[in-house]
Amino acid sequence: MAQQAPQDFRSFLAAIRATGDLITIDEQVDWDQELAGIGRLSCERNGPAFQFNNVKDYAPQWRVATNPIATWRRMAVAFGLPADTPVPKLYETYAARESNPIPPVVVKDGPCKEVVIAHDKVDLFDLPVPMVHEGDGGRYVGTWDLVVSKDARSNWVNWGMYRFMIHNERLITGFPRPTSHLGKMLLDGYVPNKRPMPIAIAMGCDPLSHLAATATFRIGGNEADLAGGLRERPVELVKCETSDLQVPASAEVVIEAEVYPDRINQEGPYGEYPGYRSGEIGNALCARVTAITHRRDPIWTLDTTGFMDSSATTTSITGAIAIQRRLEANGVPVKAVYVPPEGAVHLAIVSVRSGGTEVARKIVDVLTVRRALISKIIVVDEDVDVFNLPAVLHAFATKCHPARGIHVTNYVGRANTLTPAYTQEERVTRTGASVAFDSTWPPEWPADATPVRATLDSMYSPEVQRRVLERWRSLGLQ
Amino acid sequence: MAKEYETFARERAKILSGKEVVLTLRELSPGRKKYRGVNVRCVVSRPPRPGEPALWIRSVVGLRDPEPCSVSIVEELPEMFQAAPYSDFFEATERAERR
Repeated sequence: MAQQAPQDFRSFLAAIRATGDLITIDEQVDWDQELAGIGRLSCERNGPAFQFNNVKDYAPQWRVATNPIATWRRMAVAFGLPADTPVPKLYETYAARESNPIPPVVVKDGPCKEVVIAHDKVDLFDLPVPMVHEGDGGRYVGTWDLVVSKDARSNWVNWGMYRFMIHNERLITGFPRPTSHLGKMLLDGYVPNKRPMPIAIAMGCDPLSHLAATATFRIGGNEADLAGGLRERPVELVKCETSDLQVPASAEVVIEAEVYPDRINQEGPYGEYPGYRSGEIGNALCARVTAITHRRDPIWTLDTTGFMDSSATTTSITGAIAIQRRLEANGVPVKAVYVPPEGAVHLAIVSVRSGGTEVARKIVDVLTVRRALISKIIVVDEDVDVFNLPAVLHAFATKCHPARGIHVTNYVGRANTLTPAYTQEERVTRTGASVAFDSTWPPEWPADATPVRATLDSMYSPEVQRRVLERWRSLGLQ
Repeated sequence: MAKEYETFARERAKILSGKEVVLTLRELSPGRKKYRGVNVRCVVSRPPRPGEPALWIRSVVGLRDPEPCSVSIVEELPEMFQAAPYSDFFEATERAERR
């Protein structure tokens, strides 16, 4: 039965503890790789989230939690649904709530203001920021965050999830890609005027606010409205100490900063969501922290990025629904879209009511027009369940013509620099390609000559199907 | 305990040329400030010279060269490099070397 979605991070932790999806560790754990290593292993084994109550070098009021919604079970709990809710139902829930955005409300105060540290008193090393992987460029504050920025020329406020690395006590470097909404705001509105851009990095908000921050949302759209819709209640926002930006009042920690329009520092490399550390280093932005605010007994959060991290599930939902909406808007006869977590946000499966070369080409063109995060798209007929990976693999292996079924689009300046397959040079120039694998029957093939699938539901009479299923059930088989 | 650093390099041979180079070093001393960054003008030696802090070189994908080096810090530089966001960091350090 659906319940109210957890409205802050602590109620979410309590909910996943109740379902057996959170383990608490009271023994001391080292912030330097060990803590993140536990979270990493859990991602690779579809394991639980962790809360660490004793972090080496840090006072006991600081706790650290890992990978909030890296499994479908925890994602379901975040929506207020039973932990065993099927994935298609989670997709349906997201799509329905996304269609009913609820604007945020502004409040005067909130838990994230219980402790305020401003300007010269700021020391980022006072935060228990884990070293996520051996060989990363540094310690990353932004692996599971919600970064607020505002367009210089309009009321557009962007929430995004971007990585930020500690350089020293007050400087961070970050890699919101130039093609990201934050990157666009910075390059279009602040750099030309040599103005610093205020940002606020909120940690430990309610999980659906973070989910909204990961969403592929339209330019000019405010993710705070989307978050309200997903939560079915408005997000309470509170003003920052050193800028006019507003952050979720329930956040555990908020880092306020200003991005320099004319300064840089080393950033990266970092083991990222595609499951590799690919060598994207030194093409970033640099920001000075102006304030840190937090709860009295804060819980730091991180995503131990890599294969099957939290972005695998979050982007599976938000990316798939965004793809579906965009294809529908462009007249593609799309039935369903699935972005499998195992594909590390590089693979989408699209089922269509009518396929063929023209449709496959249109899909890959539509999905690469501004920026291209997905590089492989499998297009299947509508009788293939996109969530059934064995069925998708069967269609791809048998119906995709090895020459005529492959449709490649090349581009420069909008490729995903985190795609491991690209060379260092391609990364720098953001040169890449996306491909559609047309695994549909050509629409021009006559129905009486199109191959028939040799499955129970396709190659047997309804009467035989009925008798087989009856026999199956009588044997006690599922 | 002797100081120890690491740095990330696109061109390892240039760092090992024996000439002054501009690098961002990460401090590896245990404790809260481990991995703190500092920008320096320095000379790197391999094999390491006695009395100098140890330096480990990592590649752009973070793999550590197993051969140790040492580093002599000539001067500490400003904590940032002048360049527009998303500019190439290694080109910025080369410009700083020419000053």
